[in-house]
Amino acid sequence: MRFDSRSWFPYNERAFEGDYCLETVYQQLRTWFANAPDAVLFWLSVIIPILFVLAVYPGIFAYTTLVERKALGRIQNRIGPNRVGRWGILQPIADGLKLLTKEDIVPRRADHIVHFLAPVIAVVPAILLFSVVPVGAGLVPVNLNIGILFAFAVSTASVLALFMGGWASRNKFSLLGAMRAVAQVVSYEVPMVLAAVAVVMVVGSLSTLRIAHAQSGGILNVTNWFVFRPWGFVGFVLFTIGAMAESARTPFDIPEAESEIIAGYHTEYSGFKFALFQMGEYLASIAMAGITVTMFLGAYNGPGSGPGWIGGLISMFWFFIKLGFMIALNIWIRGTWPRVRVDQLMGFAWKLLLPMSIVNIIAVGFWHYITIRPLAWIITTLWLVVWFGVLSRLAATEGVAPRTYRYAS
Amino acid sequence: MSIPLSSYLMLSAFLFAIGLCGALSRKNAIIVLIGIEIMFNAGILNLMAFWHYKYITMPTAYMFAIFAIAIAAAESAIALALVIAVYRFYKSVTLDEMTDLKG
Amino acid sequence: MNAAFWILSIITVLGALFAVTLRNLVHCVLSLILFFLGIAGHYFLLRADFLGAVQILIYIGAVAVLMLFAIMLTRHVTGDEEEREVLGGKWWAGMGTAVIVAGLLWAVIRKDQLTAVLPAGGATTSVAEIGKALVTDWVVPFEAMAVLLTAALIGAVVIALEEVIRKR
Repeated sequence: MRFDSRSWFPYNERAFEGDYCLETVYQQLRTWFANAPDAVLFWLSVIIPILFVLAVYPGIFAYTTLVERKALGRIQNRIGPNRVGRWGILQPIADGLKLLTKEDIVPRRADHIVHFLAPVIAVVPAILLFSVVPVGAGLVPVNLNIGILFAFAVSTASVLALFMGGWASRNKFSLLGAMRAVAQVVSYEVPMVLAAVAVVMVVGSLSTLRIAHAQSGGILNVTNWFVFRPWGFVGFVLFTIGAMAESARTPFDIPEAESEIIAGYHTEYSGFKFALFQMGEYLASIAMAGITVTMFLGAYNGPGSGPGWIGGLISMFWFFIKLGFMIALNIWIRGTWPRVRVDQLMGFAWKLLLPMSIVNIIAVGFWHYITIRPLAWIITTLWLVVWFGVLSRLAATEGVAPRTYRYAS
Repeated sequence: MSIPLSSYLMLSAFLFAIGLCGALSRKNAIIVLIGIEIMFNAGILNLMAFWHYKYITMPTAYMFAIFAIAIAAAESAIALALVIAVYRFYKSVTLDEMTDLKG
Repeated sequence: MNAAFWILSIITVLGALFAVTLRNLVHCVLSLILFFLGIAGHYFLLRADFLGAVQILIYIGAVAVLMLFAIMLTRHVTGDEEEREVLGGKWWAGMGTAVIVAGLLWAVIRKDQLTAVLPAGGATTSVAEIGKALVTDWVVPFEAMAVLLTAALIGAVVIALEEVIRKR
């Protein structure tokens, strides 16, 4: 972690140069333990960020599963799990133990090596994504100059896990599910990346720390968030939709829809490998939520965040609040919206989201070159609204039937 | 960095030879394409090694590498589409069986 | 740095070797993915960060998936991707050529003994410079690349499309 406790006013641009995390944790440890041997401090500065990521985020994953089940239960007019521990607090532990002790069944004709590697390849990119998400002012596990590009590169690597899982099971349904899953993920990657390009254009850097820093300032550190700009709002919506489709969450959960394809690419997995697939999917959605927060919702900025120890702790608090909000949004959408059909899915991505993301990039161009701010607001908003109207008319395949409501009596 | 430039050149030459061997001596069209990808990557690694040791402040070789990667990706897309189309006619991708133009 | 270079080189060479010698096609492609990862690691070691990320994004994220799809679409029945005979007709010609090429390159590289050293300081071409170069000096190849990729996209779709065979 980078923890720069020097004052940043006036903002110390050198703090955002490409110094990799190892150097800064190393420097901090050096100021605390001035006479420790060099190799020990080096390895400590490598292990501390790793331990942070491995301790915090799987913990968030475990309790997200519980919160999700309880929230979905409430949306569906029932209580979620409440047997294991008070309010079901120990439910994730019970689930983990159950899946660990289940028998690991591998089909006889399955390809054992590929079958074994698929869950691993599902989880590793999800954990790697957390390494570029800044959790507090100046606190990021790895400060890469190409942070956002690294995030997209590893998220495309997780596509392989879907295919490998479906292929290695030697099961026609798994293969079909895998093909549809890969088509979905690959189609929604493009508008997602283009929506992020808009943010990168404005900030002028691919580094997540600079993107977070560019959203500080303003009234209460809030008004500079990119979601409050016209192009930022459209980008936020596009990126959130793309992120939900990337990690195959409802309404885009065709890959694991039980009523359609049994369980898609993870039909033939049981026990801990299935748990790893679930973990990979949830961790990917939490990581994408983290990147959405970084790029659009102002990362760690909020009233009171800033340099120093107190400001750093407050900025961590704001980051986790916003991450919780994004996860809650995911759960809410999962509980209320129905699943889209496969053809609707592809049409939505290629006919509406992709042109909209290109229009968004042009809107950023307008925003940058029109120097009179109110005029820039008006022109950008008009451009986006007009194009959204045109594209949604053109991309609509069929009308919507009039709704008839039937209530239980 | 204490690795001499010739180490990188040897590595890329060796990889190129492996790719060439695979492209020339296997029967399956897809393995031939894999060999071609290996050769491409070995060549671009060679280019970037020279960039690193001599021209690191100039973006010329970097641009060349980016365009080469894009062209390689486009070429592999077309080649795989061709393999799929040919499969539809011959019902196999074994190169030994595609002998209609021979003789 | 030496250890990193040797470990990455071993991963890369093993990946390439297994990619061209295994019997099972899917295992070959997985080994190719390991090769791509090794090359991306080498790019990071050569201070070309952007290129390393682009390598992972394009080769592992797109080209490898394309190859897996092509393997899946070009076989008869499930489980048929093991080859019966691995080597082609005149395989000794291929291997001989490869050995001669490797030998020639080895002789040439060894003769020159290139021991160039890195310029001092952390100088490298930054991503901002690359972006700027792409739209100022290199804008014509950039636009030509866009046209090429569009043509490749349309061409691949047209070539792989099922034709409707008209019965006479």
